[in-house]
Amino acid sequence: MPSMHNHQEHQPARSDKGSAFTPSRRSVLKAGAAGAVVVPALSACGGDGSSGSGSGGRLKVGIAGGSAKDTLDGHKAVDNTDIARAHALYAGLCYFDTDYTIKMALAESIEPNDEATVWTVKLKEGLKFHDGSDVTADAVIFTLQRITDPDDPTSLAGQLTTLDRDNLKKVDDLTVEVPFTDPFVTFLDVMAEYLAGIVPEGFDPENPVGAGPFKFKEFTPGERSVFEAHTDYWQEGMPYVDELEIINFPDETARVNALVGGQVDVISQLPHSQIEVVEADDNLEVLESETGMWLPFTMRVDKAPFDDERVRQAFRLIVDREEMVDQALSGHGTVGNDLYGRFDPAYNEDLPQREQDIEKAKELLAEAGHEDGLEVELVTGPISPGAEAAAQVFKEQAAKAGVTVKLKQTNSTEYYGDNYLQWTFAQDFWSSRNYLSQAAQGSLPGAAFNETHWDDEEWVEIIEEARATVDEEKRAELIKQAMKIEYERGGYIVWGFVNTVDGFNKKVKGLEPSVTGHPLTTYGFHLMRIEG
Amino acid sequence: MTRLILQRLFYGLLTLFVVSLVVFLATQALPGDAARAMLGRDATPERLTALREQLNLNDPVAVQYGKWIAGLFVLNLGESFANAMPVAEYLGPRVSSSVALMALAAIVATPIAVAIGAYSALRRDRAADHATSMVTLITAAVPEFAVGILLVLVFATGSLQLFPAVFAGSSEAVLESPEQLVLPVATLVIAVSPPIIRMMRASMIEVLESEYVQQARLKGLPERTVIWRHAAPNAIGPVAQVIAVQLGWLAGGVVAIEFLFRFPGVGMALMDAIDNRDIPVIQAVTLLIAAIYIVVNLLADIVGLAANPKVRVSSR
Repeated sequence: MPSMHNHQEHQPARSDKGSAFTPSRRSVLKAGAAGAVVVPALSACGGDGSSGSGSGGRLKVGIAGGSAKDTLDGHKAVDNTDIARAHALYAGLCYFDTDYTIKMALAESIEPNDEATVWTVKLKEGLKFHDGSDVTADAVIFTLQRITDPDDPTSLAGQLTTLDRDNLKKVDDLTVEVPFTDPFVTFLDVMAEYLAGIVPEGFDPENPVGAGPFKFKEFTPGERSVFEAHTDYWQEGMPYVDELEIINFPDETARVNALVGGQVDVISQLPHSQIEVVEADDNLEVLESETGMWLPFTMRVDKAPFDDERVRQAFRLIVDREEMVDQALSGHGTVGNDLYGRFDPAYNEDLPQREQDIEKAKELLAEAGHEDGLEVELVTGPISPGAEAAAQVFKEQAAKAGVTVKLKQTNSTEYYGDNYLQWTFAQDFWSSRNYLSQAAQGSLPGAAFNETHWDDEEWVEIIEEARATVDEEKRAELIKQAMKIEYERGGYIVWGFVNTVDGFNKKVKGLEPSVTGHPLTTYGFHLMRIEG
Repeated sequence: MTRLILQRLFYGLLTLFVVSLVVFLATQALPGDAARAMLGRDATPERLTALREQLNLNDPVAVQYGKWIAGLFVLNLGESFANAMPVAEYLGPRVSSSVALMALAAIVATPIAVAIGAYSALRRDRAADHATSMVTLITAAVPEFAVGILLVLVFATGSLQLFPAVFAGSSEAVLESPEQLVLPVATLVIAVSPPIIRMMRASMIEVLESEYVQQARLKGLPERTVIWRHAAPNAIGPVAQVIAVQLGWLAGGVVAIEFLFRFPGVGMALMDAIDNRDIPVIQAVTLLIAAIYIVVNLLADIVGLAANPKVRVSSR
């Protein structure tokens, strides 16, 4: 599931600030244009040996968003503050590291059989939940069944439809066999999501127990929540702080003010307009990360005028990507090449970077019968910072190719209302995800969010094959082919990837850039220490 | 007079009923329902169905309203859609936070505004009076959140970092962090004071020009006695009604201020509830604000009536 970004976020549409970015798509962990150089402080932490756990005060964190619907149920996290709490409370079998590689967490290993129809999960020994009980095979089975409960499906249920949930098999106390009705090579991707935290049997979201770095202490929906260090956390010596307080800040000005005033130590999602304010303060620092989060324009391939492949390609050629990143994201992003899955190990590097080519676009439009110009409606709204500005920029760029774009303004409730996934030409946002997982979410026919109504036979065939191919090299080859097809005739205009920008007090150590698209080192509160 | 008051009380209740109906219908007119607003982009058909079932959103609109109003008669405000807590329990701490904020503002604003108004009248047409008129005119015209932003810029984030710019404490104990209350209270004080000051000034001038004050002066009473024994008590009557109206305004005006300072009160709860289409909470908060407004105005009327001998006698 995509992470929900705060609806109230508004970004200034324009900034004259020049971008210092050169678009280098694969430069993992690059500090951004704002000059944020953050030294990972982890190496320094080994020093205090035995137990660094719980040695350093209360970390106060201001998170963008939050409201009365806040939840402690990690499987149903929607808003940013829910996601932050999910990262604090729960640990999964595996997780996405800051460079988007998948690492084992509670699991010792997760291995597929030859067809990827059965995955064997082996848990690490001696792990404990917050209540002191053991992390066992039963808990894994309970968790998978809870996530896919047909009467009360949670966010990940849509990605686990082929899980044979009645035949989960406990081999021994630490081993589970997870069967699927079809080959399922992306099981690790799904289990690495923050929505897949392992919970003990009889889990009660009112009094949540997990195996994450922090255990539950207090919670007021719409306001704040307090946690204390879980001393038996699976990562030795972590967390470093005794207590964690997560405070809601729906309003960005209040959030920045709280950081400047020292009421919180760390904030997520620093608005671009406030970066200079934070940089000017001797006590504060900016953390900027390139991410795989993308803000595409979506063209329905089954509706005029986009049912004509030439129109789609023309629209892709209309976009001046550099200008869009500069204007819509104030330069805090990277240009895209109409492809998602930027950090997938199989990402197709061979396809040339698409550039603006108005002449070619006009040619294609004329071939498609629009030589006298074309008028389209673009549905936009405050769905993610930069989205509305991008729509404005597109409107101006399109005019050069004789395309008249009429903007339809919506608010986010209307945008994601009954017409969501039905708009002919609209926008959306997606967080970092590997190619096959993203395809299962947004591009396969039958995917829950197939907003472009993409249903290309050749492509679907390749994807189906890739999803059943356990051999990584062969699978990577298939993925590259599929990417080429989307590059040549897909319904997305992927013009750029958005950086996350956070602010923190210099006394907090341990933050480092992360490409996952989740702020604050993927809400890595267990990594943070307070000094001085 | 008792009949008059009962009559006003009846109309007050009628107003509340109409308010609840209008607000309920207005929430129905908003695009999307609570289930959609809560699930946002994650609203797959399966999850929407499950949540609508849980929240009884499939009932006809009239039935939903009927259930709510029936609950009201047994003082049950229902459960919040957003977090399944009883509305009373959810709003309880927030109401007391807001009341604390408003009470502080009222306690600070009333005596200061009355004193400034009286002083201005005594200095009529001199520099101090002109300055007061100018300042009250400007502050009355500027919206309260603009005043708040200005105070934050000057006293919190600018060179003078005297007070915190936002409230980061808990709604359970707002008085435990008094320094965080300074700016929100100051904003409210500046917002409610101008009409009180201007009314006090006008009323005081009128009294000072009256014959009985002249008489007192001619009697040779010291000026101090003239002002505090004869003039001020008579000037305060009409001001009381303005004070009441301003305090009633506080109940609604606090919404924007709470959002600005991230103060965990009913105002924040209301904004939140509207975002979430959390109808039971929206209803409870709007009714509360409307009720405060009605009660305060009723009290002002009673004070006004009681102060007016003609009405007092004639309606007996």
